[in-house]
Amino acid sequence: MSGRKKSLLKVIILGDSSVGKTSLMNQYIWDTAGQERFQSLGVAFYRGADCCVLVYDVTAPNSFKNLDSWRDEFLIQASPRDPEHFPFVVLGNKVDLDNRQVSTRRAQQWCQSKNDIPYYETSAKEGINVEMAFQVIAKNALELEAEAEVINDFPDQITLGSQNNRPGNPDNCQC
Amino acid sequence: MWIQPKELLLPSAFWIAEMHSRYFVLQKRRGHGESRGFGSMLVGTYDSVMNTKPAPYRILHQTPSSEVSYEIAIGITQDEIVKDWEWLKANLFKVLDEMENEDEVTNFTICKIQSLYTQNNQDDTGESADFKVMKSKFRQIFKMPEEERLVNSYSATYVKNKIPRQGQLYISLNHVCFYSYMLGQEIKRIIRFAELEDISRNANTIYLKTTNNMTYNFTMLFNASEAHLLIEQLNKMAIQQLIHDPDSPVVDHDTSNFSRLGSKTSKKPVLLRDLTARQKSEEFRIYFRLPQSEIIDGKIKANIWTPYSKRFNSGFIYLSPNFFCFRSDVKDLVSVVIPMKTIKSVEKKDDGQQRFENQIVIITSENVPFMFAHIVDRDVLIFKITDLLARVHVPLSRERAKYDISWSKQTALMNTFKTQFSAKIIQKQEEKMVRWEAHFRDFGRGIGMFRTTDVINLIVEGIPDKLRQEIWLIFSGAIHDKEMNPGLYEDLVEKAACIKNCFAHDEIDRDLPRSLPEHPAFQSTDGIGALRRVLQAYALRNPQVGYCQAMNIVSSVFLLFCDEENAFWMLASLCENLLPDYYKDKVVGAQIDQGVLNELVETHLPDLHGHLEQLGVIKMISISWFLTIFMSVISYESSLHILDCFFYEGAKIIFMISLQIIEWNRDKLLYCQDDGEAMLVLQNYLEGIYNPEYQVPPTTDKRKMKRKVRTQTVQTLIHESYTKFGEEITQQRIEELRNKHRRLTMRQFDIDNEKTIVKAYVQNPYFSHIELHMLLTIIREEKHALKSLQQQQQKVQCPLSETPQLVSQSPSRPIQDAGTFGGRYEAYNVSYEVFHTLFTELTPWRKCVSVDIGEKLFRLTDKKGTGVLDFGQLINALGLVCSNKNMEKLKLLYVLHLPPLLSKAEIERSRRPRPRTKDDAEEAFEAEDFFDNDASESMEALPSPSDNNFDADDFALINATQHLHNLAGISGNTFMDLSRTPNLSLNSNTSSLAHRSSTFYVDLPGFQGTATSTDAGRDEDELQRELRQQGRYESIDTFSDISDLGAARITPPGAGVGADVAAGAASAAAVDDMLLNVETISNFSQISDLVAATRLERADSNATDLRSLGSLGYLLDQPDEGASNSQHRIPHMRKENFQLLWRSIIEIMGLVQDEEMHRAYENLLELGNSNIKKEPSLESFTQLNMGGDEQPDSNGNPTTPAAEPIGTTRLFVALEEELRQASGKSRTTTTSSGDSSSTNISESWHISISQFIATVLTVNSIVKGFQTPIQISEQIEQLQKKRRKCLSTNY
Repeated sequence: MSGRKKSLLKVIILGDSSVGKTSLMNQYIWDTAGQERFQSLGVAFYRGADCCVLVYDVTAPNSFKNLDSWRDEFLIQASPRDPEHFPFVVLGNKVDLDNRQVSTRRAQQWCQSKNDIPYYETSAKEGINVEMAFQVIAKNALELEAEAEVINDFPDQITLGSQNNRPGNPDNCQC
Repeated sequence: MWIQPKELLLPSAFWIAEMHSRYFVLQKRRGHGESRGFGSMLVGTYDSVMNTKPAPYRILHQTPSSEVSYEIAIGITQDEIVKDWEWLKANLFKVLDEMENEDEVTNFTICKIQSLYTQNNQDDTGESADFKVMKSKFRQIFKMPEEERLVNSYSATYVKNKIPRQGQLYISLNHVCFYSYMLGQEIKRIIRFAELEDISRNANTIYLKTTNNMTYNFTMLFNASEAHLLIEQLNKMAIQQLIHDPDSPVVDHDTSNFSRLGSKTSKKPVLLRDLTARQKSEEFRIYFRLPQSEIIDGKIKANIWTPYSKRFNSGFIYLSPNFFCFRSDVKDLVSVVIPMKTIKSVEKKDDGQQRFENQIVIITSENVPFMFAHIVDRDVLIFKITDLLARVHVPLSRERAKYDISWSKQTALMNTFKTQFSAKIIQKQEEKMVRWEAHFRDFGRGIGMFRTTDVINLIVEGIPDKLRQEIWLIFSGAIHDKEMNPGLYEDLVEKAACIKNCFAHDEIDRDLPRSLPEHPAFQSTDGIGALRRVLQAYALRNPQVGYCQAMNIVSSVFLLFCDEENAFWMLASLCENLLPDYYKDKVVGAQIDQGVLNELVETHLPDLHGHLEQLGVIKMISISWFLTIFMSVISYESSLHILDCFFYEGAKIIFMISLQIIEWNRDKLLYCQDDGEAMLVLQNYLEGIYNPEYQVPPTTDKRKMKRKVRTQTVQTLIHESYTKFGEEITQQRIEELRNKHRRLTMRQFDIDNEKTIVKAYVQNPYFSHIELHMLLTIIREEKHALKSLQQQQQKVQCPLSETPQLVSQSPSRPIQDAGTFGGRYEAYNVSYEVFHTLFTELTPWRKCVSVDIGEKLFRLTDKKGTGVLDFGQLINALGLVCSNKNMEKLKLLYVLHLPPLLSKAEIERSRRPRPRTKDDAEEAFEAEDFFDNDASESMEALPSPSDNNFDADDFALINATQHLHNLAGISGNTFMDLSRTPNLSLNSNTSSLAHRSSTFYVDLPGFQGTATSTDAGRDEDELQRELRQQGRYESIDTFSDISDLGAARITPPGAGVGADVAAGAASAAAVDDMLLNVETISNFSQISDLVAATRLERADSNATDLRSLGSLGYLLDQPDEGASNSQHRIPHMRKENFQLLWRSIIEIMGLVQDEEMHRAYENLLELGNSNIKKEPSLESFTQLNMGGDEQPDSNGNPTTPAAEPIGTTRLFVALEEELRQASGKSRTTTTSSGDSSSTNISESWHISISQFIATVLTVNSIVKGFQTPIQISEQIEQLQKKRRKCLSTNY
């Protein structure tokens, strides 16, 4: 990286078909088809993502169950530098509907078990929580960026340190 | 075989006479057979270098006084030639002896042989004798099966290590092979077409590169270009086969389609002619947009009269069964398509003018005359047309079943939902209409119009709304499909409406409201309903595609301008002809074209290419551009113009527009620093494209309300693309590039898949990630090789059903929950055959010959009884065997020699490999007898599944057979399918099964007693005999699985025939879809699954599989005696099993037994003796498990002990559990006690695992031998080399 600040954040939104991914996103995020047969194309899009948003439909338990798989899929395909701390956000969408099937508690438990992923319940239709959720997404993504920059600042020192211990260096060969 | 008699002057050079008579001599070629003298070697080299390829045997006719001999017969085998010799002896010797004049003798002989030759060759395949010799050599040298058809062979030089080797290049349907024999050195190379990554030709040299990074150079003096094209074509077919049907990546070819093209005079082999015709036909079909079934029937040079220009234009007439077409030599000058059924008359015409002789006039049903001149073979052409006309089949509307569905066909939605156009736009449309009307007057209207550059010019400006349907239908070719299938659409719609619970329908319904939501037509039920019907009907027509997102978007645009039936056929021609493979799995066609675009950018916009490649932009943009023909990225009113051009130009317009879009944004794109920016640049540009000649439909979508910054008119965009890229980007070039990128894309899929799988398994305890990659590669290669050798009878490639298939019962795609994330792993599941090959080729335990360890290991590992191992299971099985974990390996070996894996019958047989006594001989004979039977016969001997009167035995037999088939990797869908179509592959499988005779005997202690009461107390042999008497137990198929028969009965406690049927059905389903086979209950290994299911979360099963064998040690290391957890104890071993176990150890050790080993053996024998009745507290493991608190729970599963060690080995638990159930059942359900089953193991000789291990570990050589790991990478490399060079196995 040239050290130049990114002007854009790349946020990936994943989830089962018709959980409301398209409705959640604003127009600045690229949208592709979500069918299974498109999945192999995902790799091209995952590359260099700053944040991954996992969406499920609170009225569709299967879409919640699949969050695990979506998360794994992302981690395998995107291979982020630090998978344990990669910023995910989970959104339970369609809370405006009456026939809710997945309880808040169940979703929160799952999120806690995955390194405390932030969890929000949204309604893209009513605009509930969407903006706030995306602010958090942006914030978390920026934090990752900041960390990355910190890492980028360090290489020089690391190189210096390793130079001292270079085995081929006769000065250090005192044993 | 008899040949056309040939004169010879030097009859004996290179040949040895084998038989003599007065006028005949039978000769054998030197260099064949055992004699390996220098002379033979020279002849061998001569044959190879000079490409003389003579048959090894021949018969000559000679007369004592003449110098000239005649070659009259040749033979590939001695038997063959002797047969001819015998014929001569019987029919000619005497007759000839009676003749006096030698000339008369010769004349008579030659005449006789000639007549024999013609007689024999009349009903033949039309292959010359030379070609037959070539074919048989090819099969012999490369051990190719009969089904692998040779296409042609070329003399070629292969340069290896800078040494050129002259030899013969053989091209068959699935392989390129090379053979050379020079001065005693033989070289063989086998390359599968499916594994080619690069094919190129430079002058006379063909360069090939495989996915394994092997490169080959073949130089040919003649025919290099023909060979190159052939390789390209066959590679294309192989890759397409991979796309269409990944399960049988073998190309087969049906000659009959092309038979009428075959001209008897051509010297080329039939298959080669067919393939060339096929290639030509494809080009022809694509150019004229004819239906897939059309096959070119010939082309004739001719001039066409074009009334609008009042002149003749030269070109070719092309004929196919249903079409008469013409194409001018000058590109795009004029072309014509006339459906045969519209031809009213064909007449000769001669106006006396010398300039335009040999004319014909064709008049269509609309009284339009077409005049052609300068037809050399005019009479032939007329005859041909008349012949075709006589055969033209006018399809009638089909009789169809009535469904209780009420619907009416929707007409073009634009008529119902009228857009309010401004006066200016209406005027513009009317102007266009006037010009189109004028065009129709000059050039004709309808299918038979003269297609010229004038029409392109009109189309580029945008077709008026009123004409869109008509023009789209004609130029897309959809009209032909529609006319050939009257009533099919209605039929499909109604059948589709009857289907319930279909995954594709759910997906369609989800997408209906978001297809073209801004248009009022799709805010109404009319529009939505029509769209649903079109998409559902198509999913039914083409189950391979089903429904793919993006189809909804294009279909909704079609529906605006066309009635719904027309929209359906447009969609069909889009998916099947215009955008091939675009909507299939992984949208593979679009990904291929993405590669093509990438290369085009590199060629035409070189300065941008590197930058875009680095950003990864092309991969991101192209999918939505390609799949929706820009409709999802450019406003609807603008994309219509692109669509107009698309139907005329085909896919090339997409590439032209794409290049133009990138080119237009060149500077901005170069400035972009990341993919997101680049995407935004393109998005802003595309959204800004507008169409000043069309009304923007009113929209309710908030996002689209926002005014976009206008960037460019769609007219300019199209115009510029034609100007800049129209000349260079041709359909032909795209086809060439597609061939290349089809290869690369499929290769990339494999690479991506491998990477993902390796990532998932990299934590395994045995193999590094490089080794994992190599394993995956070899699995893929072996699977393909197995397929191409088995040559399963190919389903004729017709994915499209003339009569619709009902897919509801078996949805072509697995339900998403299960399928989404698992699919990629399945490609690397290995069948028993592949596993066995890998085991034998790669592991040190291949040395075991007394016991088929590979088979035991497979059964032990295949817990679900699916007949396949997943990659994780394979790693564990092979990994442990190749590892240095001596203790675990010994324990594994011990387990593999336990019943039921090692059966009593198997022990018996291995003890008496050759029958000596009469009784033994009889028994052995019976066993062998099974293998000799033809599998197809035995299939019919089985009870018919439709027979209602069968009993439990029948079900068990069906079940057992089915299971065997699963195990053997025969992929029949159901048992019924198998019994109906016994094919060649079955037979070949039988023979391959035969050598593992004992494979499927399983001897469960206490088993016999568990069978239903009629069988109680019988031993296996008796049961066999009885079944045999009943006429059912006659072949390997039925013989094999007597154990399963028993197992199936004991498995579901209290369940009867019904459960067996369920099990049978389940195992049938297992072949189809492994995800569904969870409840397969047909043999012992499935019980383990049940056990496992109760203990382990399904989600964790992968991880557990990984651990199960790996943690063998955990379990096994526990001291045997005094272990509190008796559940996990490994059973004791009987003497017979132990003796075989020891033999296996000796075999693994390389057949050397040192003194220490011998002592250990004696010790163990002694230990076993002293174990008899010495442990009253520790009876057999089975008895122990009979403890009251260990009863199965309500589901028949054992209760889970509270304290279970983490990573418990399921397989041992399962094994034991099964034994427990078996004996438990015998005790509870049967009163009679079988003689053998009642024997208590503790009363006879036995040893425990700990005794075995403890003793064996004192033997240094064994410890050392088992400690030595095997580098699997080296083994794999060797195997690959062996395959490449067609070397034989050493073990």
